[in-house]
Amino acid sequence: MSTVPRTRTRPPGGASTVKALNCPNCGGTIALRAAGRTVSLLCEHCGSTLDATQPDLRVIVEANQALHRPLIPLGSRGELDGVTWEVTGYLERTDGEEPWSEYLLFNPYEGYAFLVDDGDRFSLGRLLDRVPGWDNNALSVDGRAFEPTWPTYEARVTFVVGEFYWRVKVGERVQVTDYAAPNLMLSAEENGAERSWTQSKLLDRGIAEAAFGIPARQASWGSTPRADEPSPYRRRLREALVIAALAAAVLLFLGITAPSNQLVLTRQVDVPFDEKSHNVVIGPVDLPSTRQSVHVRARAVTLNNSWLDLDYSLVERRTQQSYAGYATAERYSGRDSDGSWSEGDNDPGVRFSSIPRGTYDLVIDGAAHRWVDPKAAPASFTPIFGSASLPAQDTVPVTLEVRRGGGTGGLLFLFLMLIAAWPAVLWLKHAHHEARRRGWAQSDDEDDDE
Amino acid sequence: MLDTNCPNCGAPLRFRSADLAVKVCDYCRSTVVRTGEALEIVGKTAEVPDDVSPLQIGVRGRDGAQGFELVGRVRWRWTDGGWSEWLMLFDDGSHGWLGESMGRFMLLRPEKAVSGEVPAIMARGGRVSPGMIAVIAGEEYVVSDARPVTVTGSEGELPSPASIGTQGFSVDLNRPDGRTASIQAEGGSVEAYVGRYVTLADIAATGLRVFEGWPMPRYVAGRGA
Repeated sequence: MSTVPRTRTRPPGGASTVKALNCPNCGGTIALRAAGRTVSLLCEHCGSTLDATQPDLRVIVEANQALHRPLIPLGSRGELDGVTWEVTGYLERTDGEEPWSEYLLFNPYEGYAFLVDDGDRFSLGRLLDRVPGWDNNALSVDGRAFEPTWPTYEARVTFVVGEFYWRVKVGERVQVTDYAAPNLMLSAEENGAERSWTQSKLLDRGIAEAAFGIPARQASWGSTPRADEPSPYRRRLREALVIAALAAAVLLFLGITAPSNQLVLTRQVDVPFDEKSHNVVIGPVDLPSTRQSVHVRARAVTLNNSWLDLDYSLVERRTQQSYAGYATAERYSGRDSDGSWSEGDNDPGVRFSSIPRGTYDLVIDGAAHRWVDPKAAPASFTPIFGSASLPAQDTVPVTLEVRRGGGTGGLLFLFLMLIAAWPAVLWLKHAHHEARRRGWAQSDDEDDDE
Repeated sequence: MLDTNCPNCGAPLRFRSADLAVKVCDYCRSTVVRTGEALEIVGKTAEVPDDVSPLQIGVRGRDGAQGFELVGRVRWRWTDGGWSEWLMLFDDGSHGWLGESMGRFMLLRPEKAVSGEVPAIMARGGRVSPGMIAVIAGEEYVVSDARPVTVTGSEGELPSPASIGTQGFSVDLNRPDGRTASIQAEGGSVEAYVGRYVTLADIAATGLRVFEGWPMPRYVAGRGA
């Protein structure tokens, strides 16, 4: 009983998946790569269609097509997403306008897949084993929503070679409806008797080319994006928006927490009429925020027919870091044939922005100058015209008001605009891509308008 | 379990389950039917033509908590192709079928509760067409495919003889939730099966056939094939 031979002994390296056969039409050697599964076999030498379900490979259709070789030869193997695939069949199809190619891929453990080549990009399709669901007006597979694309179209087979698990023939027509999601396409194919669903994944450029050893293709700029081609700007836009939002939040936080326009001190200084400048130090000016603006307001109400030069320096007491500003005020008045007049301004203020935290002194170098009318009597320094009766002043009293914070609203707005600029540019590019990707929708609208 | 010898050639025969009364002798291909301890040869069957299937008798796997082993196989053909049905013997002694077609696998268990127009028509030997409804275990399934079929070979242990040339009518059905069913008519008997599509990884299949130049699927890498 133990001497009975086993009926099946297998070589240790495993059985071969490929059987060499002879074409009953032309006699050429052909490979059968998926015995037991293959239904149609189109001889790569003569193009005859053979019935692979019959042990003798009965000829169904004799050579009736001009043969050419697929870009990826039959029998080529390549690895995609960690699975090794062998090209067993190749067919060309058209929707009447655009042709494309499909490679039938086989793996004994994984079954079949389709490598679809639209001439520019490759995608990898697998037959779904269930009907997609319908959620929120969109088809869904594994929780991913697919939106409708262009209207249903007819796909016709124009060329076939190799082996297939169905009865394939040139001229075969199916109705195809495509639905798209980023990087994915869901296609329903109907031939009257049955409807099948295929989900295909758009492969990154160069992936399929490298896997099957064909030259890599270059991106063709400016071409219309595919319906399943995700926007290359989406990720960058998201990043830019996050960065911009953070920057805006920080800016707004600073703007809100910085107390607006608080009076720090008021002081009156007298600036003498003198050719030399007069130095006054007032302080302390305490600046508690990390950064704030400082507004020095100065009013010289008595200024008349004279001018005032004021150099300001905010000097940090400890670090001696200083910030300089300069202002001038002048005021003239008089009386002529039109009546009395006055011109100029008497508010020689200055505004510092973004001053760091610290205790400062405000150093003012002031000089007041009288204007001398060249037509007036040179001997007299008395003011001319209406003020002639008043005694000449020898100082100009200047009221100084130091305020901190506030007043940066305009600057804040400018910064916010700058922050928004890059996301806005990306958004425009993204919107442009999406509009072109959904080109079918726009052309529908145009049709409706007509 | 019954260990005995082929009444025709004397090769060892093992019947593992009382429910699986048929064994195709590995050596002489006699179809041996067991009734208790009594054996009867009911015919000869052709060896299943070698095909590129990763499955073979002896493959083990799991359906949820339940382990199984493939112990038999029937090969069917229809006008436009063929497929295999592998008999799964579960650890609890029950059985099911692992259908293999177009590179895809369907795990099916017998289901007695079947009603509706489809089984009725099939019992009369009438024509069933896609779109018709069958109620199996209280749920509606829609016919997706219906075709006359013929046995082209069988091997191992089987619940009933599947001689070459046996004619039948096979109907595939499915539900939108992904569950699938099959109803088969042979003579006057109608059998229903329900289940789902699975991958080899889903059922953690081990002991798969080794093919020259083909790496094992990733989930079995590291295990003996």
